[in-house]
Amino acid sequence: MQEYLTYSVYGSAILLMLIGLYAALVKKNLIKIVIGLSILDAGVHLLFVAVGYLNNATAPIFSEAVIGKNVVMADPVPQALVLTAIVIGFGVTAVALALVVRLYRKHNTTNIDEIKNLKW
Amino acid sequence: MKKLIVITLLLILGFYLISTFSSTPFGAEKVSGVKDFYLKQSPETLKVSNVVTAIVVSFRGFDTLGEVTVLFLASTALGSILYRRRTKHSGLNPQREAVISSSLVRTGAKVLFPMIILLGAYVFVHGHLTPGGGFQGGAIIATGFLLILISYRKFFINHNVLTWVEAIAGTTFVLIGIGGLIYATQNNFLENFLPEGTLNKLMSGGVVSIIYIAVGFKVGAEITGILDTLLTIKEAGLDPDEN
Amino acid sequence: MVISNPIYFIALPLIAAFLLPLIGKVYKPLIRIFPGLVFAFMAYISFDLFLNLQAGEAKIIQIAGWEQPWGINLVYGHFSGFITLIITTLAFLVWVYSYKFKKVGFDNSQKFFILLMLMVAGSIGVVLTGDIFNLFVFIEITAISSYGLTAFYKGRDGAEAAFKFLLIGALSSTFLLLGILILYTQTGTLNMAELAVKIKTIEPATQALVLILFFVGFGIEAEMFPLNGWVPDAYSQAPAPVAAAFAGMLAKSGIYGLVRIIYTIFDLNGIFGLLLIMGLLTMVIAETAALKQKNIRRMLAYSSMGQMGLIMIAFSLNTKSGIYAALFLMFNHAVIKTMLFFSAGFLTYTTKNKKISDLDGFGKIMPFTALMFGLGAFAIVGFPPFSGFWSKISVLVATADKGFYLVLATILITSIVEIVYYFKIIGRLYFKKAHKEVEVHKPSWNAQIAMLILAVIIITIGIYPDLITGYITNAADALFDKAAYIKHVLPNLTLN
Repeated sequence: MQEYLTYSVYGSAILLMLIGLYAALVKKNLIKIVIGLSILDAGVHLLFVAVGYLNNATAPIFSEAVIGKNVVMADPVPQALVLTAIVIGFGVTAVALALVVRLYRKHNTTNIDEIKNLKW
Repeated sequence: MKKLIVITLLLILGFYLISTFSSTPFGAEKVSGVKDFYLKQSPETLKVSNVVTAIVVSFRGFDTLGEVTVLFLASTALGSILYRRRTKHSGLNPQREAVISSSLVRTGAKVLFPMIILLGAYVFVHGHLTPGGGFQGGAIIATGFLLILISYRKFFINHNVLTWVEAIAGTTFVLIGIGGLIYATQNNFLENFLPEGTLNKLMSGGVVSIIYIAVGFKVGAEITGILDTLLTIKEAGLDPDEN
Repeated sequence: MVISNPIYFIALPLIAAFLLPLIGKVYKPLIRIFPGLVFAFMAYISFDLFLNLQAGEAKIIQIAGWEQPWGINLVYGHFSGFITLIITTLAFLVWVYSYKFKKVGFDNSQKFFILLMLMVAGSIGVVLTGDIFNLFVFIEITAISSYGLTAFYKGRDGAEAAFKFLLIGALSSTFLLLGILILYTQTGTLNMAELAVKIKTIEPATQALVLILFFVGFGIEAEMFPLNGWVPDAYSQAPAPVAAAFAGMLAKSGIYGLVRIIYTIFDLNGIFGLLLIMGLLTMVIAETAALKQKNIRRMLAYSSMGQMGLIMIAFSLNTKSGIYAALFLMFNHAVIKTMLFFSAGFLTYTTKNKKISDLDGFGKIMPFTALMFGLGAFAIVGFPPFSGFWSKISVLVATADKGFYLVLATILITSIVEIVYYFKIIGRLYFKKAHKEVEVHKPSWNAQIAMLILAVIIITIGIYPDLITGYITNAADALFDKAAYIKHVLPNLTLN
């Protein structure tokens, strides 16, 4: 049972990452590539948070109900890291979309194969 | 052919990753590290109940400074790439004229907008007591603005106001940091120099709540600015080829 | 009377960048002057701190008053101090060069300086930090500002270059994040010194995975093959001072990341061999491709890649003389490449395609600029009495010391290739007749001052290399001594 849970949780996060990677590397439409990057980010963040969980743990907040009792708290550090990582991912996606808009204006297509002004 | 190579590589990577992560079962006790220190010090020394907030603002406050900078950078880079003129707003964008939303959407947006703003403000003011904080609250506020921007064609956001809010909030953050350099006991950047108060009250945590409020304003202003820029892209604006 | 604190390197550009939009509303011309003041002040405290650093000392700055490893700390030692010195001086020179940048419109100079200041802050943050997640955040700051700067001009294909850069960059920073996650899961800490101690508890297979993830993460900025597809496009489409900044700051911080994890954190066999192979591949492929280029900026970009490959080879030797050679190469590469990009910027100001064949006869039309370019070309291939000569010699000596004679032969062959393609340009500049209708844009006085300062540095170090050899030796010692780094940051933990 424990193994099933481990594999399914980590496996789904890694599967998300692989789907995002596939979309970012193989697809030809610019917007699909940006969406792939977003999905990849989502997978990594999910993996981060999943690592921080402890069995029967509660949220790491010392509210009135928890003070004095001996409870197991989930690891707060990956949650803090993920907060930063989500914002950074958002920033990169915003810049990527702005570039897509400008590329579309200039070349009138969103197919990456047709935008090859810069040769080798 | 290229797809086949990519899929093979991805499968190898996935297999390698899964075997690495599954060595420790989900939920088991991991290696003991820094988290015990945080869980102990946060309610005792800093008097902040939300440990994640304490980590984000105080223990790893430098990361938050970097993150705020990343948002500011994204907004500036966006403006630079899309050549938004920060001059007076001249006329409507042809893209936004195309869709006229129904009266249901418009009325609903008008009713929901103040409540969303209130929720966002609540989330970031109480960041050190309940789950949430500056970033989450700022994102909620930006969602409220997005709702209004989509439903009303003529809603005009004054980018001057946004610029002032961003600049002042960002400067407040760095100034509090430098204040820590001057006033705090050990003269370190971003150290807490205000009295801590008692646990679980609104006035607790010293500079933590003030920093998070500034962050909430900044994030809300910036995400709204980004959304507005992306929504009001002018079609005619690309100058002839420049070297 | 100024309190020199390494935290100012990051806090000052940040606050200046936040305030710049407000300053722009108050008084327009101040937008161009204010970054210059910030950069000058940063260069001043950089010199002040570095020259007063005792041998074997390292300043540790704790952020937010929490002790390491629970808080974030900055480590200002000889090695990081040396690179910070290079970055701050280059930042100031880039500002001098772009002070009167006429190509940007009235409005965009504000965004240009914001992005530039934040790129400088990010690069210095990468070099100074002692915490691995903080390293990731600062790498992202540097990367996003460079995406914005690459796409700065409207008319050229900046957006395409920036998109390619962004795609490779976003993928590699995700891999970097994954590597950090695995390290945290296995050791429970994020501080680099504590990681160095605790990394023995991880099994070698996992260590190898994390190492590969980190190589991908840092390799993009360090221009390592095969992650350097973005380099020729980005260097040729960005504005000229920005390309110089890429070569001088971005690449340096990328290489710093690679070197820091290899020398300080990890402890595997075969790391150095991997770096040697990647460095060789990068150098050989880049220099060969540079031969075929017709566009001068792309040629300079490939040459820059080749130099980074050479630096990687020098770092992979794992000896003190190897690190010494690599540091000297880094210094020279930063100074000379900046000079080359500055002069190339004016040589090709008016030609749209920046073809080399358009440069015939410019030796007579723009004598000052052509002379600067020639100086840079001679220096970078290693002719005496310029500074490039000493760094080339030290690399060859270090490689011979280690007994890698095949590598030595490869370096010599690629040096000859370098000489060939640089002298092609010099030949065209001086020995061919100019085309009929050619319009030139002479460099303005501030650009000339910038280039002159660089020329003075190149010639002075070439004649008296002892001016900086002492500092470089200190820096090399600081990097090579892993135990000293750990002792500075965590006095209670020892490397057993």
